[in-house]
Amino acid sequence: RRGLSVAAGPPSTRQLREAEEAAPVFQYAGKAARRKDRVFVWGFSYSGALGIPSFVKPDASWKKPRRIQATPYCLETDQKISSAACGYGFTLLASNTRDITKVWGMGLNKDSQLGFQRSRRDQTKGYEYVLEPSPVPLPLEKPQQTRVLQVSCGRAHSLILTDNEGVFTMGNNSYGQCGRKVVEDEIYSESHLIHQLKEFDSRVVQVVCGQDHSLFRTKKGAVYACGWGADGQTGLGHYNITDVPTKLHGDIAGVNIIQVSSYGDCCLAVSDEGDVFGWGNSEYLQLASVTETTQVNVPRHLPFKIGKVKEAACGGTGNAVLTEEGNVFVWGYGILGKGPNLMETAVPEMIPPSLFGWSDFSPDIRVAHVRCGLSQFAALTNRGELFVWGKNLRGCLGTGRKEDQYFPWRVTVPGEVLDVACGVDHMVSMVRSF
Amino acid sequence: LNAAPGRAPRQRVRFLPAPAPGGGGALELVAARVPVLADHPLVRGPRFRKLKIGAGHRLDVKASGVFVLGVGHGNKLLTDLYNCHLTKVYTVGGLFGKATDDFSDTGNLIEKTTFDHITRAKLERILAVIQGTNQKALLMYSNIDMKTQEAYELAVKGLIRPMGKSPPIITAIRCLQFALPEFQLEIHCLHETQQYLRKMVHEIGLELKSSAVCTQVRRIRDGVFTVDDALPRTQWNLQSIQEAIQNCQLKVETELEKTL
Repeated sequence: RRGLSVAAGPPSTRQLREAEEAAPVFQYAGKAARRKDRVFVWGFSYSGALGIPSFVKPDASWKKPRRIQATPYCLETDQKISSAACGYGFTLLASNTRDITKVWGMGLNKDSQLGFQRSRRDQTKGYEYVLEPSPVPLPLEKPQQTRVLQVSCGRAHSLILTDNEGVFTMGNNSYGQCGRKVVEDEIYSESHLIHQLKEFDSRVVQVVCGQDHSLFRTKKGAVYACGWGADGQTGLGHYNITDVPTKLHGDIAGVNIIQVSSYGDCCLAVSDEGDVFGWGNSEYLQLASVTETTQVNVPRHLPFKIGKVKEAACGGTGNAVLTEEGNVFVWGYGILGKGPNLMETAVPEMIPPSLFGWSDFSPDIRVAHVRCGLSQFAALTNRGELFVWGKNLRGCLGTGRKEDQYFPWRVTVPGEVLDVACGVDHMVSMVRSF
Repeated sequence: LNAAPGRAPRQRVRFLPAPAPGGGGALELVAARVPVLADHPLVRGPRFRKLKIGAGHRLDVKASGVFVLGVGHGNKLLTDLYNCHLTKVYTVGGLFGKATDDFSDTGNLIEKTTFDHITRAKLERILAVIQGTNQKALLMYSNIDMKTQEAYELAVKGLIRPMGKSPPIITAIRCLQFALPEFQLEIHCLHETQQYLRKMVHEIGLELKSSAVCTQVRRIRDGVFTVDDALPRTQWNLQSIQEAIQNCQLKVETELEKTL
């Protein structure tokens, strides 16, 4: 029975307006709302490289182990991650903080590529698989002043670049890729040894890991290399292993190199004038534009007429470069991104910008970065969108589908993608929320 | 329409008796063309008693804009145009700070929020994400095998479209005006309803950590028909309708040929 003081029919317009004005106003975000920085991971999880233990060992009975994470999954981190690198089954995350813990590692640790991770069950042994981002203990002289600038991971070794304490290397050294003398029958698992490299002509500004070799780029524009050289990937003029970082000559002698890239056995370098130099494996036509041989052990200039090159990325069998205008050129072997018909080419082919979202409606979309995994490519646009293409090995493309992708495909990430690191079967991206 | 001169009556050949030339009295049959009596206007009556009018894509009561109608034989073209799956363009006006139950400003108020933290850059970022996810949906619902070379070529030209049933897809969206608390968007979409566009405005508000309602939905283009071709209410007379049909005939034919 309705009360006698309540109005009979629907409220009049005036009553509605008064009710609206009297309604409370909620505030969800003020003027000082900050955008959060997050890390998203996807790909094969059983190696622990994704850093989510519940995928490998479920912590609740209803959860099932997840072998492949097909779409981006947010990884909780304590600090803001500024640099990430994916190796062959392991990942390193680094933050440029001044705190004691600067680098976290997860995944395969059979060669101590994540440093020594003390096992909680047995204090004398170390973990072979690290399922969660765990701090990497670095022997820093001034841990509360040094900052970690960049990390890089190869097949079984990793490099950490700091701002004033040189480069730290850890992991497998059977080919001298850690920059120290090769010790016969050395056991790399559960090793505490982290080597420090300081002797370069100037400060090291970029470190790159190939499969079993390491490249260092210094501020003066010189490139140093060490590690396995059977494919000429050290670029030192011979096919032997090198266990001390040695300066490269050849066509890059005297040239100011602004970027180096490598992931498999081929290496590319970009100079400040926009020229591309390559050396290493050329079995997949990566360097076929200058030579017929399948191994090149001295850096050679690649005479491409595609404009000034800004960035280069090397994969296992294919390479990609980004020009100043924002166009992506690919060459090599494998799924290059121009449909299933283009499987190999020695000359760079441009990927049409319309595949990256360029159209008459949005004409100012440009590709800002290119990255390569072993058989995948990733491109970041200036709007913060991530495009991937290549072989979808164990879900590493992040598209949510199992098939290989023959042309650039957008990955749906809830945020603006700032950087992405590609590995063999997983990828890590640094994203800023909206 | 009935006042316009109609079809000429049919003629037919009849043999009529007529007086023979020469001698009088005997009748001969002479062939002559004579109008058929059944075609006489007084017998037949007015030519048009009813007109079949079909409607193109639906338009809400609260929305306005271009509304395509087919008259008589044009109804067959309507189904063909529907199967072309062309995009429609809307201007959608929104207002930040309110959330209502039916996503428009005439509904019951659910919540009021602050909106002074919203900037045009944030709005455009959200619009870019919406465009990106809808682009993916466009490729997925087009039912083309992604592994073929022709799929790659269509994707390069931007011609991949769902040619069958699909959920609403937005092919392009951009911000035309932005003056807090009001904003106006231009949306190109496929297979949508106006209520879906209002819901999209509401979701944009949520994504920006505030709330929004839709104040205006206006269709400015439906496939090949734009606002310039459309007749306002003052011009709903026979002359203008006939002119409009003739003007659009060529456009419709080329579009149908291109797609089908």
